[in-house]
Amino acid sequence: MKHLVPLLALPQFALPLLALPLLALPLLSLESQPAPEIARIVVSPASRSMTAGDTLLLRAEARDAQGAVIPGVTFRYRLGGSARFEGRVDSLGLVTAGSTGILPVTVTATLAGAKPKFEVIEIRALPGPVAKLELSPTTAKLVTGQRLRATGRTFSSGGDKRADRVLWTSSNPAIATVSDAGLITAVRSGTATISGSVGTVRSAVAVTVVAASLTSLSITPGNADARTGDVLRFAVSAKDAAGTAITGLTPTWSFSPGHGTIDADGAFVGYETGEYTVTASFGARSVESTVTLAERDVRRPLSLVGRLARSRFTTEEVWLHPDGVHAYLGSGGGGDVLYALDISNPANPTVTDSIITNTRRVNDVMTFPDGKFLVFTREGASDRKNGIVICSLDDPAHPKVIAEFTDGVTGGVHSSFVYKQDKFGTFIFLTNDGTGALHILDVNDPYHPKEVARWKTEGRPDAGRSLHDIDLRDGLLYASYWNDGLVVLDVGNGIKGGSPSNPVLVSQFKYDLNALYKQVEVDGGPGFIRGTHTAWRNKNYVFIADEVFPAAYPKGAKDAAASRAYGRLQVLDVSDITKPKVVAWYEPEYGGVHNVWVAGDTLYMGAYNAGFRVFDISGELRGDLRAQGREIGHFNTADMDGKVKNSAMTWGVVVNPKDGLAYVNDDNNGLWIIRIEPKPTVKVVP
Amino acid sequence: MCQITRCRLTLVAALFMSSAISAQPAAPTRDYLVLVASESVDRVALVRFGAAGATIERERYVGWSTMEVAGPHGVAVAPSANQYFVTTAHGTPFGRLTKFNTATNVAEGSVMLGNFPATAQVTPDGSLVFVVNFNVHGEMEPSDVSVVSANEMVEIARITTCTMPHGSRISTDGTKHYSACMMDDELVEIDTRTLAVSRHFFLTTGKEMGMTGAPPARGAVAYAGHDMGGHGMEPPKPGDVSCSPTWAQPSRDGTRVWVACNKSSEIVEIDVATWRLVRRLPAGPGVYNLGVTHDGSKLIATNKRDASVSVFNAASGKELARIPTTRRVVHGVAVSDDDRYAFISVEGIGSEPGTVDIFDLMTLKKVASVDVGQQAGGIDFVRSEPTKR
Repeated sequence: MKHLVPLLALPQFALPLLALPLLALPLLSLESQPAPEIARIVVSPASRSMTAGDTLLLRAEARDAQGAVIPGVTFRYRLGGSARFEGRVDSLGLVTAGSTGILPVTVTATLAGAKPKFEVIEIRALPGPVAKLELSPTTAKLVTGQRLRATGRTFSSGGDKRADRVLWTSSNPAIATVSDAGLITAVRSGTATISGSVGTVRSAVAVTVVAASLTSLSITPGNADARTGDVLRFAVSAKDAAGTAITGLTPTWSFSPGHGTIDADGAFVGYETGEYTVTASFGARSVESTVTLAERDVRRPLSLVGRLARSRFTTEEVWLHPDGVHAYLGSGGGGDVLYALDISNPANPTVTDSIITNTRRVNDVMTFPDGKFLVFTREGASDRKNGIVICSLDDPAHPKVIAEFTDGVTGGVHSSFVYKQDKFGTFIFLTNDGTGALHILDVNDPYHPKEVARWKTEGRPDAGRSLHDIDLRDGLLYASYWNDGLVVLDVGNGIKGGSPSNPVLVSQFKYDLNALYKQVEVDGGPGFIRGTHTAWRNKNYVFIADEVFPAAYPKGAKDAAASRAYGRLQVLDVSDITKPKVVAWYEPEYGGVHNVWVAGDTLYMGAYNAGFRVFDISGELRGDLRAQGREIGHFNTADMDGKVKNSAMTWGVVVNPKDGLAYVNDDNNGLWIIRIEPKPTVKVVP
Repeated sequence: MCQITRCRLTLVAALFMSSAISAQPAAPTRDYLVLVASESVDRVALVRFGAAGATIERERYVGWSTMEVAGPHGVAVAPSANQYFVTTAHGTPFGRLTKFNTATNVAEGSVMLGNFPATAQVTPDGSLVFVVNFNVHGEMEPSDVSVVSANEMVEIARITTCTMPHGSRISTDGTKHYSACMMDDELVEIDTRTLAVSRHFFLTTGKEMGMTGAPPARGAVAYAGHDMGGHGMEPPKPGDVSCSPTWAQPSRDGTRVWVACNKSSEIVEIDVATWRLVRRLPAGPGVYNLGVTHDGSKLIATNKRDASVSVFNAASGKELARIPTTRRVVHGVAVSDDDRYAFISVEGIGSEPGTVDIFDLMTLKKVASVDVGQQAGGIDFVRSEPTKR
């Protein structure tokens, strides 16, 4: 075979030179036997489920039309793209399920001379065996007769959430019983251990029961007036007949009506106006507080102050110079321009200069803290070198290119962040589109940027990693790491001994993006776009926003204008930076959540199709921020003269500390300068 | 009675003589349709060229969000011309191959492939699509060629080849797939039946050698100091004799493979039967993509660093003409079904529009040009048809 094809492929004039008829005929006769046609592939085992973290060996046979096994067939096994992060399959058909999900495996049979044949099978990967059982609460101090519901959540060793039924037992039912549903009933004083178990995995709730001799119960605050969205922390004090305080009791909390949440720690937030009754129960005894919630009443009108329409390209990042009278505006969708703007008169922003470089997207721009330089990013350069460009701002109205940096970041840079620390000086932290790595450049000499460190998440090939955006506060870097969630690094804070040249992992917050946005898969099919996109640290919270788009726009629609974004803003409590936890969220009814900006107690958001949004984030944050009326205002940044007409795609916002105006860029149509007007006074019509 | 090919040659010769006499390109008597992808703006344009010149007939947005660039890079029209396939290179993180109905532009299927899927081609029987996963932005590590079942849009094989596999083409008989390894200075041959690498060829000047089997895997260390030359835009540094191949083009009769050496500005010609070097043809600066006429007589090359297109006599290797293009950064080639015209995609730089330049292969002159979306790259011929009025 190996000789035959070249011979037949020789030019005709060469054939007479060879004794082909004599030599080749036997070969031809052998080769003339056509390779058998592979009619089907039989893959075993027939039962195709496995546990995540486990392996399953596939075997395949090729059969002809008569069902006979065809010898000499080579099989290849390939995991479908939709499960690229959930498992792997090797060349011998050994499937390893990394996590739960459906693993589509394509089995391809090849035979020399025959047409390849393939079969797609689906393997259901179930969570691995239970390895951890988390009970809530972990301790409880109850009074006799009190009932408290314990709950349990189970996880595999890989952290996959399972749906196991927890088996509850009490070490001493005479003290405390527990029902099959986890309802603990305190019987008489003493201690007991309530155990939850799933298989051999156990966890316990230490229960102390005190005699029901409560003679005095009080709740604070007693009655409360508050606004929707205010977090009220309730506490109970109890005394026995002797007037001695009984401390540490675990109330059973409830409230009505049910428009809000209350946590086990007594933190209550209501979403709607009206009266609520918050109850702390201790068996036969209970104590109530009446809460009257008024409207949050933060709504304010928004008005347009100035406008710089752009329609040649899409409009990317807007950034303000520290002097407050100059701004910079990126371009995308083939845009190679960075605009310099004079915003001294916000009603009439004007272009003072522009820089054109070899790029097709200027996605991100940021000035140095002292305003003497700026950096912008490049993607889509015709020489594919990309990287970043640094400009001097001796005259902020006329930036001049002084340096570029492309080493190792030829794949493009989507975001960059300039950050100065007294101890280390000024550094640029940037994202590498190609490898998903964080690159850190020393720009204490901005004319000669020098890379000092790289950092990236582990456990993925470069092609599976994506770093989208960066925020920095107090020496901690908040990296929006797409599939890998939020990553917090010490780059100078000291909590982990990190520095710009030695970033050290502090914590990571991962969540199930597929589960969170499963409706997007229904709307637009599998393979939809989703990932942790933006982070912003403010006080003891980190706001993270996801970028979510369907895989395809609606069937039959003419173009992407019919598509929409999705997304959720999550509020993480990072009081313990090593253990971020979600406490609140916002999800627009229509549209997404893109870039955010926080100034004081106000959060500003470019919400893609949902326009420009402003939120009150004063006080403690819990629960659904939209439901509790925290939205201050909304502005639909659509323009009939936009690059995309009459369609908002609000990208982001920067607030000018000089005048409090919001500089909002819309990808479809340019810059909007927006004022949040004072709350209108009610005029009585005489 | 004559064979179709011979008749066509006679006709072509007659046309050539006619053109030569008049010294003016004769106006096209039919309309020609090509598809071209604009990588920076996520659009694929259907360009119509006829007696009235070249125009954009319609465009199809092929991205997934106007906020992110999906980067359509390769375009491959099915032999039936009923469907076309587009690779989008910049996914998050992986790119995709999407199938569209040529008549309606409706997407008919999509499959996620590797990192930066680039050049694509459909096998002559229409059953498989071969796509190189260029992996231009990742670490220097071997990448692969994806094989997709065209009907079901299922990736049935991923064949590891080399670092930065680039321009690729399938032999006329559909049995071999050739791709260039931009960072390994190699040509790789895949058997389209066994879906395995059958041979490879070292292309560096003075080190030419054909080998059986797959190229050896190299570690990232092997690439220390290698540069991409601005993706074909920078000339080689002094003493650099590497090829930096960017396209592999089998001859129509299957006896030769031509490889564009982007860095050394040569076309390497390899004998398929003996798997030996035939010759190195001097080519235009930064020769990038190649195309060949259906009659096998002409080899067309884009010159990325020169803003020009070269036309070679495929048999003699003589450069018949080097013709300037409208803009810089010349990219792909598509040849009309009657071998009369070559359609050349030109990327442009920055915010310049992309362009499709059309060259008359008889008179060797540019006869039309039309601007399309920015960074026009992948291009393929759809069909010719009676002039639209």
